Amino acid sequence: MNELVLALAVNGLVWGLIVALIALGLSIIFGLLDVINVAHGDFFMLGTVGGLVVATSTGSFWIALAIVPLIGLILGAVIERLVIRPTLRQASLTIVTTFGLSMIIQEVVRATYGAQPRRMAAPIDGTIPLFGINYEIYRIAAAAFAALFLIAFFLFLNRTKLGTWIRAVRHDPETATSLGIPVTLVTAFTFALGTAMALLGGVIAAPITTVDFRSGVDILPVCFMAVIIGGLGNLQGTVAAAIMLAVLEGVVTSFVDPTTARIASLVIMSVALLVRPHGLFAGATR
Amino acid sequence: MTVSHARVLGLTVLVLALIAVPYALPALGANFWVNIIAEILIWSLLAASVNLLLGYLGLLSFGQSLYFGFGMYGVALSINAWDVGFWSALAIGMAAASVMALIAGVLAVRLTWHYFAIITVVFSLIFYFAAMSMKWLTGGDDGVSFTPPPVMNLGGYKLLLTDPTAQYYVILGIVAGCFALMALIVNSPLGLSFKAIRENDRRAALIGINVYRTRLIAFVLAGALAGVSGALFAFFGRYASASYMFYHVSGEAVVWAIVGGASSLLGPLFGAGALIIFRELVSNAWEHYLIAVGVITILVVMFAPRGIAGSWNDLLHKAFMRRSQGADPNKPAAVIEEPR
Repeated sequence: MNELVLALAVNGLVWGLIVALIALGLSIIFGLLDVINVAHGDFFMLGTVGGLVVATSTGSFWIALAIVPLIGLILGAVIERLVIRPTLRQASLTIVTTFGLSMIIQEVVRATYGAQPRRMAAPIDGTIPLFGINYEIYRIAAAAFAALFLIAFFLFLNRTKLGTWIRAVRHDPETATSLGIPVTLVTAFTFALGTAMALLGGVIAAPITTVDFRSGVDILPVCFMAVIIGGLGNLQGTVAAAIMLAVLEGVVTSFVDPTTARIASLVIMSVALLVRPHGLFAGATR
Repeated sequence: MTVSHARVLGLTVLVLALIAVPYALPALGANFWVNIIAEILIWSLLAASVNLLLGYLGLLSFGQSLYFGFGMYGVALSINAWDVGFWSALAIGMAAASVMALIAGVLAVRLTWHYFAIITVVFSLIFYFAAMSMKWLTGGDDGVSFTPPPVMNLGGYKLLLTDPTAQYYVILGIVAGCFALMALIVNSPLGLSFKAIRENDRRAALIGINVYRTRLIAFVLAGALAGVSGALFAFFGRYASASYMFYHVSGEAVVWAIVGGASSLLGPLFGAGALIIFRELVSNAWEHYLIAVGVITILVVMFAPRGIAGSWNDLLHKAFMRRSQGADPNKPAAVIEEPR
């Protein structure tokens, strides 16, 4: 029993790292643009579908892992220009525009890819014994990829010029403008980057989840939970909260059914939101 | 003719048209549309509950489906368990939704801005997952069906919902009553304090308005409206299902309210009407009509942020007044400001 709990905790950690990547994309969009992106889950779904389609047509998962996030970057830039920028001044209205976007994305995928949920074969076969069960190697590889990209993201944000610009614009757009930072461009790039991270998370998750045009609807609340519990605009907080929530849900699942576990984490989130509306880690960083 | 004359005329035409529906549409050979209009009326109440919070208090609730669901189950379960009559079941559905809104509201209205949108959707998700798993009570996705009792029983004559015309008038009467009540409320001193809080909650607090209590009252009223909507929808479909508690239903209501025009009383009716009629017209011809709905939603927010009703009012002002007063066509209907 104890071993099963540990195995489920590891499974939660794997899923948590992937969710952290997606939620981080949501968090930078939220923190910088003030956009509540209801379509973010659908960007993740596009990643899973894109991963499956590219991997089957080229025969290699690794090509999909390289190409799909780039497609996400372009897609994000186009969406920002066409849909987000004209309504940026209205936080409440961006919920509505992104809801419309979510409808469009889901329906386009249903029309082209189909409504049938599919499963994707893991690119790395085999299992290893872990806490008394045979654990898929790919899941561990997926966690490693996610962790790698998380580190790369923070290096990019803290060590490169573009990353510094992003932080500067988030901190104070007016001063950033007066210092000659192309704020509009940085904003567009941030949205594109957030989109690309959701698609990247989708590709990594594609072999361990169901590839379905509805899958974005399930992951969206989880990502929002991570962003809120971590604290709006606190990127490290988002990562920590995503991992915590997923491990917790994994552990709770070993005692009760998955729905009760989901309800438990939603209740925890409500309490966190009411007691510490600025996140569990408010004041700890920055 | 002035703007207010034009408004009264427009309202009269709308009411007469809605009364004529069960006779006019079958005469045109469109029986099927009577039920569509009835459905629009029901959904417009859910959109109105979003509008009450967004348009009059500046609070965006993304969780009104929760109270809609409580209205549905209040009707279905009370009829199945206690064999209650039509009006009692309706009252139970509305009461269940109001009590749930009171419990959720006590916590939710502490928050504003993004946080309010998120806490409301989280509450609705908790109960959605709970309702989906409690199949013994709710029937989960399949739901529970029931036989609706007669609306009235006058000495042997029974007014039954199985007659589409009778059903339509019952729904029209209740929906019109709710909208009339809402008009009274938003024009009362309470309604004025709603608007004061929307414009600036700190100033409202300084002139002696209890901001928390006023927001809570509005939240419970909105919950009651959503509950009536859900109760009517349960009678209309003769069943209640947990799937209607999902946040996509709330999202649709938000879209209807904004497309119709938030902060305009009848805006939600026009928004729900336009999009549901569009769905009925296009869904037969094109399976993936939702793409078009999404595009329309985005275009409305971009080019007519005051929605159908707001644009209509602007048009009236332009047509009947040299200088338009008050309404600024470029100002969006609802503004949620970041707390300072």
